[in-house]
Amino acid sequence: MAPSRSKHANQTCVIPGGFTVLSLQFSTDIVAQHKICVKEHRVRAEKTTQRPLDRTLFVLNIPPYCSEGVIKELFSQFGPVQSVELREKPGSFEHSGPKLAKYFTPAQKQRFRVGYIVFQKAISITAVKSHPHDVPLVVSTEQRPVWTGLQKWIHQYKQSFAQPDKLQEAVDTFMQDYDTRKEQEAERQKEEAEEQLEDEEGWVKVTRGKSGTKTRPHSEVSNQKALQKESRKRKRKELMNFYTWQHRNTQKEHIAELRKKFEEDKQRIALLRAQRKFRPY
Amino acid sequence: HLLEGERFSTQVGPLFLCILPCMRMQRILNEGPTRAKRGKPEVVQNGLLRPVTLSRGDLYKPPTADELNQLKEAESLFHCSLLKMQMEELLKEVSLSERRKQLIDSFVQSVTEQLQTVPQTSDMELSDLSWLSGGVKVPFVLVPKAAKGKFHMAPPISVTIIGSYPLGTCTKPGISVDLAVAIPADVLHPKDALNQRYPRKRAIYLAGLAQHLAASPAIGAMRYSCLHGNRLRPILLLSPPGKDSSSFTLRLHACPPPGFFKPSRFHPQRNNIRTDWYTGLGSSQPATSEPPTPHYNSSVLGDMLPSAHLQFLTAVSSQCAAFAEGVALLKVWLRQRELDQGVGCFSGFLGSMLLAYLLSCHRVSNTMTAYQLLRNSLHFLAFNDLTENGITLAKGPDSTPSLAEFHTAFQVVFVDPSGHLNMCADMTACTYKQVQHEASLSLQFWDDPTVDGFHALLMTPKPMIRTSDHVFQLCELVKLQCCCKKLNLLSELMDHSGNYVLTALPFILSLLQRGLGQRVRLLTHSLTPDPEVSILLDAPKHNTQPPLSFGLLLNPEQAASVLERGPPADSPKAEEFRQLWGSRSELRRFQDGDITEAVVWEGETTCQKRLVPRQLITHLLQLHADIPESCVRYIGGMLDDVIKVGREVCSTGEEESLKVVQSYDDLSRKLWTLEGLPLSITSVQGAHPALRYTQVFPPVPLKLDYSFFDREKLSRSLVPHEVKPCPVYITPIQVICHMEGSGKWPHDRVAIRHIKAAFHISLGELLTQHHHYTCQPSPTHLDVWKDGLVFRIQVAYHREPQVLRESVSPEGLLIVRDNAEAQALEMATMQRPLLTSTLHGLQQLHPCFGAVCRLAKRWLGAQLFSDDITEDTADLLVASLFLQPAPFTPPGSPQVGFLRFLHLLSSFDWRNNPLVVNLNSQLTGEHTHNIKNDFIASRESLPVMFMATPNDKKVSIWTKQAPTVQVRTHTCSTFTSMSHPISYLCSTLYTVVMRPPLDPYDVLIHLSPKQVPLLSQAVDPPHATFSRGILAGRVANTGGALPVIDFNPVTHYLAELRDAFGDLALFFYDPYGGTVIAVLWKPKAFTPLPFKTSQMVARRVEVSGEEAHTVPNVEAILEDFRVMGQGLVKSVEPRTERWVV
Repeated sequence: MAPSRSKHANQTCVIPGGFTVLSLQFSTDIVAQHKICVKEHRVRAEKTTQRPLDRTLFVLNIPPYCSEGVIKELFSQFGPVQSVELREKPGSFEHSGPKLAKYFTPAQKQRFRVGYIVFQKAISITAVKSHPHDVPLVVSTEQRPVWTGLQKWIHQYKQSFAQPDKLQEAVDTFMQDYDTRKEQEAERQKEEAEEQLEDEEGWVKVTRGKSGTKTRPHSEVSNQKALQKESRKRKRKELMNFYTWQHRNTQKEHIAELRKKFEEDKQRIALLRAQRKFRPY
Repeated sequence: HLLEGERFSTQVGPLFLCILPCMRMQRILNEGPTRAKRGKPEVVQNGLLRPVTLSRGDLYKPPTADELNQLKEAESLFHCSLLKMQMEELLKEVSLSERRKQLIDSFVQSVTEQLQTVPQTSDMELSDLSWLSGGVKVPFVLVPKAAKGKFHMAPPISVTIIGSYPLGTCTKPGISVDLAVAIPADVLHPKDALNQRYPRKRAIYLAGLAQHLAASPAIGAMRYSCLHGNRLRPILLLSPPGKDSSSFTLRLHACPPPGFFKPSRFHPQRNNIRTDWYTGLGSSQPATSEPPTPHYNSSVLGDMLPSAHLQFLTAVSSQCAAFAEGVALLKVWLRQRELDQGVGCFSGFLGSMLLAYLLSCHRVSNTMTAYQLLRNSLHFLAFNDLTENGITLAKGPDSTPSLAEFHTAFQVVFVDPSGHLNMCADMTACTYKQVQHEASLSLQFWDDPTVDGFHALLMTPKPMIRTSDHVFQLCELVKLQCCCKKLNLLSELMDHSGNYVLTALPFILSLLQRGLGQRVRLLTHSLTPDPEVSILLDAPKHNTQPPLSFGLLLNPEQAASVLERGPPADSPKAEEFRQLWGSRSELRRFQDGDITEAVVWEGETTCQKRLVPRQLITHLLQLHADIPESCVRYIGGMLDDVIKVGREVCSTGEEESLKVVQSYDDLSRKLWTLEGLPLSITSVQGAHPALRYTQVFPPVPLKLDYSFFDREKLSRSLVPHEVKPCPVYITPIQVICHMEGSGKWPHDRVAIRHIKAAFHISLGELLTQHHHYTCQPSPTHLDVWKDGLVFRIQVAYHREPQVLRESVSPEGLLIVRDNAEAQALEMATMQRPLLTSTLHGLQQLHPCFGAVCRLAKRWLGAQLFSDDITEDTADLLVASLFLQPAPFTPPGSPQVGFLRFLHLLSSFDWRNNPLVVNLNSQLTGEHTHNIKNDFIASRESLPVMFMATPNDKKVSIWTKQAPTVQVRTHTCSTFTSMSHPISYLCSTLYTVVMRPPLDPYDVLIHLSPKQVPLLSQAVDPPHATFSRGILAGRVANTGGALPVIDFNPVTHYLAELRDAFGDLALFFYDPYGGTVIAVLWKPKAFTPLPFKTSQMVARRVEVSGEEAHTVPNVEAILEDFRVMGQGLVKSVEPRTERWVV
């Protein structure tokens, strides 16, 4: 439950939920403003060092033209910023896989995002929260213009060219890395397998741990296949047309099927009749 | 005859056997409450089919012997029994209700009483019409004026109901009840049949009746019309008064008293209109040399026989239980094909007579059902040519005219029971051929289990504009008068009593038939509808008839040929050929050494060649019939303009597509022969619409003006300049290149991507080395600049989708789960190339397939639906028109294909039916049945438009993403409103069809034309053109700097808008040169939501007490539209009158 604080200062705007509303405009000559909501980051379960609880600011509704760099610049006025993380949905910090060359990182979607800004000092958070509501933050100024529209797309197009040799280099480094990882993995598995072998005196060391001692993991498909095989085997042994009741059952099934078909037809006709679909013109 | 009879019995025998169980089935259906309890038919809810669920008890309860039999029998003819049930329902819809019958009976009663009180007048001259009062006019064109004889009004001697109503074959809609009013014998004279005296008296008598009835309050509106458009046989139409006025019409026919004229006077070779009387010239000829007047004769004769016909038909129908129903089905069938009304129609009466004929010669049996009667009559029509071998219902060879005599006088012969009257007197051979064509077409798809036979047979209307490939109209029918003169048709004109349109029609038809020859499969013409005029107006002149329409069903192989090769110069036929073609015929020497007469038409491109029939028709009409070109309104390529590629040479893109395909073939060959790749190539497949001939504007080879562009620093590739207009848009043509599988491929998604990048690099190096193409590799593709086109090669590995689907669970179990990424990859690298090659094959079968696709997609673009109905979906929809054309033939021109596409979109019931596109005919009847059942079983979870193809029976991959329900309903309303005006054959309004209606949208974003690279493709050609860095001239095959590829600011802008505001609004754009982006707020966009951290997207907070709500920050959003499109957006126009926050 949010503390029902009255508007103690004229300039700041605090809404239920504990968020402070700030205004943001693209440039000074534009009137319309986006409202961004900020709050100190406070999640109990989170233990990562990436978002220290006392120095992280949680920001909502960041317009698509604000990149990490822009946000960093924008919030530097409240104190030095250590890092900025922009995400599409709020959530806990995720580790990405191995670092990829710039050619292979997927392009980001231009959405409104939420941000986690980590300041170097905790005092900056209060500075942000006491920032007056009617003094907007300005994204693009003459000193640091932000490109949008045509300029940005042309820039993007220029950036999209990959030098074949640079690209080749990126591929080579990744693949080397990949190969070594694979080798290490193989070695580890080999070791594990060796551990399970008998030693000279015929003893096997039983260890507690992962069951994954096989070289390839179990697959769901193979599990299913095994089950099917089993049931097939069972079926083969059974006599299907031996007892009278079995014969009777198949006949019953057949009749049931016919009844069903007939009902389907009836239903189809009833629907068409209800829709007056039989009126030719 | 005997032979035919045998064939018939073998064909019909099994059918007859199998219809019995159906009847039983019907009985089960009608059995009512006991069954209903069990069946729980309440599965139909709000118009959606649901899977049938029967309880275990219902399904498995012990069957009675009777039910067992019924089910078994129904099983063996499932398809047929469904059809039977559908027909029963249809018959219920068209038959008259008891209430309506009572209405009719009472109205007939009152009219009859009124008629008995017609006052007697004194004798006067026939030409003296002064006794008619109250402004009532005579429904007859009194030309020539002179007429001898006396006339007086008298009450009719009898009033009887004739025609379909007493026979029970009267059907909805347009119910008409015929009433024969017998003129008293003393009004007529036995020699009145001569010189139009009887027809005039009849018309005047009708006028007298009209004058009498006009005073009666028991009668509503009164109009004159004429029977089947025959101006000699006027009738009086009466409507009941009050609110029932439109429920039926009563038609009064005036007839001579029974047996008044001798039928032998009306032998088709006798003359009953004297030339000197008709022309008014005194040169009396001996009666023997007068020309015969068969049409006039039959029009008089037709008046004398209706009651005899009724007796005959009643006798026949009392023998055959299903007679009335059979006739009703036949009437519905004819009506859907627009054959049952107008001059020379195949009327319902003819249908009854045909059935009577089939019954009388035992081609059908009395015990057959309506279904079989229809089938057999269609079979008879399809295989018997009444233009060559007429049929007769007359029994014995007495004094009646022989069939041969009928054939000399009439084009189609079907003689009535009396033996004197040809009931098909007014029918042209072309109309009969059309009936025949339709009948054989119907028989073809009737038994095809993959087609909904019932729907195609009886429920689909076939208007000429959607049936014929090309349509043309003759306007200004007055010109046909000169035509009659030119063709020297005085005696025929006399026979038709001055109706020059009907006189000239058969001659024009035969002329066109000769000229078109093998180019057309069928030549049809519209049947002039019966005129209806008020009784206070003069009879309409012949020139007030609506324009005549002609339809051509083209023969795709020959229709577009520019050469008409005639006989050798020295053969006797050469003269005939020269006579037909006039000055266009010239002697030509051919490569094989022959010297023959020949006609060569103009036409270089496919688009021009398609209109060769037009040149031919206007030439022939001008030469032989004196009809100037201005009177011919030809509707064959009226929509070609919107997909024209070159502005200087008229072409609709066939040639350009071919060039692209050739260039691609060359590239593919070169890829195959590349050496030095670590793995070999296993397949090279095109995956772009241009490679299946369906790209709306196929890529054109370009020569670049290097000075126009900036250069990238390292690779020296061209890049766009910020200040100059956006450079020309170059489409990358996707080519998928599969590499062989090998153990060397890693089993990891990221590693595969890197390996693919390495392949792109080495492919690029090899192509540059060996063939000197400019290449640009990137991680996802390799761009190759070749022949002024850009090919985008993507390397694919067939196991990659599988790798994407696999993941390892924490327990170390390998799980396979489908995901969007894998599906997208599979779509791009497998399904789309497959579709491309399949549709490429379809184009080879149907030369106009590509053009129809392009028109359809251009229209979708213009209506701003391109993003909802994707290119592949549209191509598949069009493909379905070619693969399942029933009840039509596959489209033979882009225009007709496009019209059918519109009709498909507007009329298809997507909610309850899957659209099965039977590519390569791989689906059998069983497949389609299964597809339908699966569809019904899981309707809710399936896409709005469900399309099944042989490779995709359950998912409908092409329509999975789009359209959504809202867009579908939105589009549907547009389709229905759009497909209507076009049916008016509007030739000049085509841009209206193509112009997007912008009224329903909430915000319009206007773009600066300078930055829209495809501006020149717009429907309305732009006022200003911009230099976009291209030069005219020959295109180099290889080398040169890499151009700016796939750079379209508008696409970037749209993608950003949709990413940012996709939750709030829909964005519509015409990708072919549109300068407006239309924005539609989503219906729920403005409802306030409670404050949530995950829903704070472009919203502002409103606090009321303890509650915080958020609403879209529209002001800022509109500003963002401007900010995000800086340099591209000209203005943002919010239409605030349409919405409030």
